[in-house]
Amino acid sequence: MSLQHTTLRALLAMAASIACAVAQDPATITDRRPVAFTNARILTMSGNTIERGTLVVKNGKIDALGADVTAPAGARIVDGTGMTIMPGLVSAWSRAGLAGQAEPRNEAGGGRRGNRGQQAPMPMGGGGGGAQNRAATKVIENIYPKQEVFGDLLRTGITSLALTPQGSAFPGLGALLRPDGKTLEQLTARDDAFVMVTMAREQQTKKLFTETFEKAKKLVEERKKPPEAPKPAEAPAGDQKAGEAKPGEQKPGEAKTEPPKGEQPPKPEDKPKPDEKKDGQGGQGQGAPGAQAPAKKPEAPKDPNLEVLADLLEGKRKAILQIDSAADLLHWEAVAGEVKFPRTLVVSRHDTMSGTMDVVLDQLKAMKCAVLMQPDLSSLPRSRFLTHPAKRLHDAGIEVGFLLGDNPNTTRVLFFRLMELVRSGLPADVALRGVTLVPAKALGIEARTGSLEVGKDADLLVFRGDPLTPTGELQSVWLAGREVPQQP
Amino acid sequence: MRIQAILALAVLATTLVDLPAQGRGRRGPRPGDPNAEAATPPVAAPAAPAETKPKHYLAIVGGDVYLGTGQRLTGASVLIADDKIEAVGHNLTLPEGTTVIDAKGKVVSPGFVAVIGAGMGAGRSAPFADAVNPFDPEIKQGLAAGITSFLAGSTGGGSAPSGSNAVIKLAYGDVKAMVVQEDSVVGMSVPLPLADREKFADTVKKAREYLAAIEEFPKKKAADANAKEPPMPGGADKVVAILRGKARLWVSLGGGGFNPFGGGRRGGGGARANDIEGIRQALELSKLLGQGIVLQKPTSAWLVPDEIAATGSMVVLSPRDRMPADPTDPDNTGSNLASAAILAAAGVPIAVTCPVGMFGGAGVGTGGILGQDLNTPQIDAAFAVRGGLDNRKALRTITLDSAKMIGAEARIGSLEVGKDADVLILDGDPLHYSTFVETAVVNGKVVYEKGKETLYSHIDRHTDRQNAR
Repeated sequence: MSLQHTTLRALLAMAASIACAVAQDPATITDRRPVAFTNARILTMSGNTIERGTLVVKNGKIDALGADVTAPAGARIVDGTGMTIMPGLVSAWSRAGLAGQAEPRNEAGGGRRGNRGQQAPMPMGGGGGGAQNRAATKVIENIYPKQEVFGDLLRTGITSLALTPQGSAFPGLGALLRPDGKTLEQLTARDDAFVMVTMAREQQTKKLFTETFEKAKKLVEERKKPPEAPKPAEAPAGDQKAGEAKPGEQKPGEAKTEPPKGEQPPKPEDKPKPDEKKDGQGGQGQGAPGAQAPAKKPEAPKDPNLEVLADLLEGKRKAILQIDSAADLLHWEAVAGEVKFPRTLVVSRHDTMSGTMDVVLDQLKAMKCAVLMQPDLSSLPRSRFLTHPAKRLHDAGIEVGFLLGDNPNTTRVLFFRLMELVRSGLPADVALRGVTLVPAKALGIEARTGSLEVGKDADLLVFRGDPLTPTGELQSVWLAGREVPQQP
Repeated sequence: MRIQAILALAVLATTLVDLPAQGRGRRGPRPGDPNAEAATPPVAAPAAPAETKPKHYLAIVGGDVYLGTGQRLTGASVLIADDKIEAVGHNLTLPEGTTVIDAKGKVVSPGFVAVIGAGMGAGRSAPFADAVNPFDPEIKQGLAAGITSFLAGSTGGGSAPSGSNAVIKLAYGDVKAMVVQEDSVVGMSVPLPLADREKFADTVKKAREYLAAIEEFPKKKAADANAKEPPMPGGADKVVAILRGKARLWVSLGGGGFNPFGGGRRGGGGARANDIEGIRQALELSKLLGQGIVLQKPTSAWLVPDEIAATGSMVVLSPRDRMPADPTDPDNTGSNLASAAILAAAGVPIAVTCPVGMFGGAGVGTGGILGQDLNTPQIDAAFAVRGGLDNRKALRTITLDSAKMIGAEARIGSLEVGKDADVLILDGDPLHYSTFVETAVVNGKVVYEKGKETLYSHIDRHTDRQNAR
């Protein structure tokens, strides 16, 4: 009994140590055998389709691919005869796992035929009520990580998932997720992947855009000034306190709305301060409200929200700009048409009552950015005449991508929706790039994923047959070179 | 604010540019007139860089042109430069590169003006410029009905002038052009208690004093650098606007303002079989102000046309509104189909609108009750003709006189040189029930073509020739 017990304990200890080693040692992951998919049809997205070729995955990356590539010795061979391999799906805009859905209609085809004369409710967050600058808020802070939805989305093919903050004007910073993560740390690939900007056709929002972009532009100008007396950068928390201590300074109200928790990525040119301003600094240290000498302003407290927008205007960040209708686009042009920043346009629904995007092609072209929209046909307002906004945009030379939805049910029918678009004239490669490379560019991760190229992450979808035929079947999903188990 | 400023600048600039054109009169430049061409380019050249852009000319040629003033020119042309009317008349010399629309055998008319409307791209409340929807499908529907401008929002009501509204133009696809002007109408209701009438008289007095003080102010300022601008008396801003000619006073006779969003009959102005008392009170207000007012759907106005005409007031009515007389009550006189004709004969300008809908008509939406919407403004005007109104004057009730009621006659309502180029090409008499709008031009741009829209492209106008078969 005792001996048995000891043996058992020893065995258990051994098993535990092995388990630990497996879990902890990254070498155990990277040292796994390379995988070679042979004789497969490979849709690279960035280059030509390889009709019959080999794709080698090593160390989580694509090691080689091509028609004449041979599988390396010792590699695990997956016979890809009759299979199609394409990059994993990239969802650049979702509310998965968050309260409130990004999509007003997430069922496939639900919003497809326009809304038949019914006045659709305002999209969530599009009402503009209480529009304010919360650009530094991180959407990731609202997430509960242990939700099945991320794993479910991964199994339906989404290997890169963005989370979108919700609200009007500047609701915050979007996040990029690794959908196989179990903890917040594992889940978070980037907590500031993009700045969300949401347009609404409404006075408050328009006014906020005008004023805030003006302030952000000024901040950019200030940053350009040469440093005369460099000072050690203050901790943002300290800034915040200073901001609260001194009303009457630059935008105290907005500074207060956001308790920043180290949102600010360290900036090299962090606030050069002219000498004259240094004088007022003593007053600031005490938080004395009397420091109001107008000529010698003390260092203005940094507004983290404004800093984020200044970064955006300097091109250090990317934005996802949500404009839901042609009418809203013209209003955006009127208030912020001249403001330039890296952006991708998101059109969350085909709004026939305020104009689908294909009625403002010229203005859209002038935006010089890709457009992500619902993978559906639309209709002429109050009629059954179908229109194809995606095709019209593509024909006009605008890069088109698609929104993949918030939940696995939507993603499961994604390829059927794409099939309808393709059947109605959208080139198949455009449809597929629209769910991979284009949204990857929107998130700024195109160097790592979104297409099949040597050196990129091995985020793969393996289909039996062609993904854009009804019989095509998703066989397996690979995230960074590892096959995602079909059961959680 | 900025948009308004830009708009104002643009209007100013275009007005300046158009000045030389006005000298040519309705018939345009005489052929061979050397001054005609020379006069066009310079004058206000340095005012704005936009002027260096060559003008875009559009001509609607050979139609029977109804000017909206009551006049008609057969086989005439309308020449449009950018967004304004450059010339109207026979044998116009068209500048090089003019886009020509052949209107031979068609009728050309000013765009209709609906005095009260809702929807069609307009927001429900101020600020209107921030919420306009230039792609609202209702805009196409309004254009198909011939409407190119309407008053949106509330005309106000109550014991003191109030209201928040805007003249909206159906400039499809053009955010900046949709709001023509804001708050050009203020409204109040009668009958009023004596106290309120005295209060109004007092406000008018204060407003006059204020205006006088403002006029004196530059002199004072010259004498005394520290002189302060006289302050606006409290609550008098709307009356000041009226006295300055910036706003028209609408008086509702049924108590309560006209609510285009479902006011129903209760609040629909003038829904009383006898409102002579109210009309006379309203005319008292008009005398106090020293200028004409707009009577909103006065049922009994046909009994006192001369009193109304004497004050220079105007009337908005719906010829189809029925209010029966009470045979047992001699004072209860009811409505009269001939109201419009009788008032017009006395010289009162009339604007015609649709009957008040139980579900808030006054829009082009298809959700209302048949006949209580703006889908057929020409038929509402035709009812006035049925009541004896001169056929030629009847078009004014939905064009120039409608524009006057909402204080926008300087820009819209007729085909006159210098006005906004809001033009309809119709396939028949403007007031005929089977007439369709074939083409609608707003601000010089073709924004509606019957054959290209889903609304009526499937319907061919039934003609007399078909009857003859």
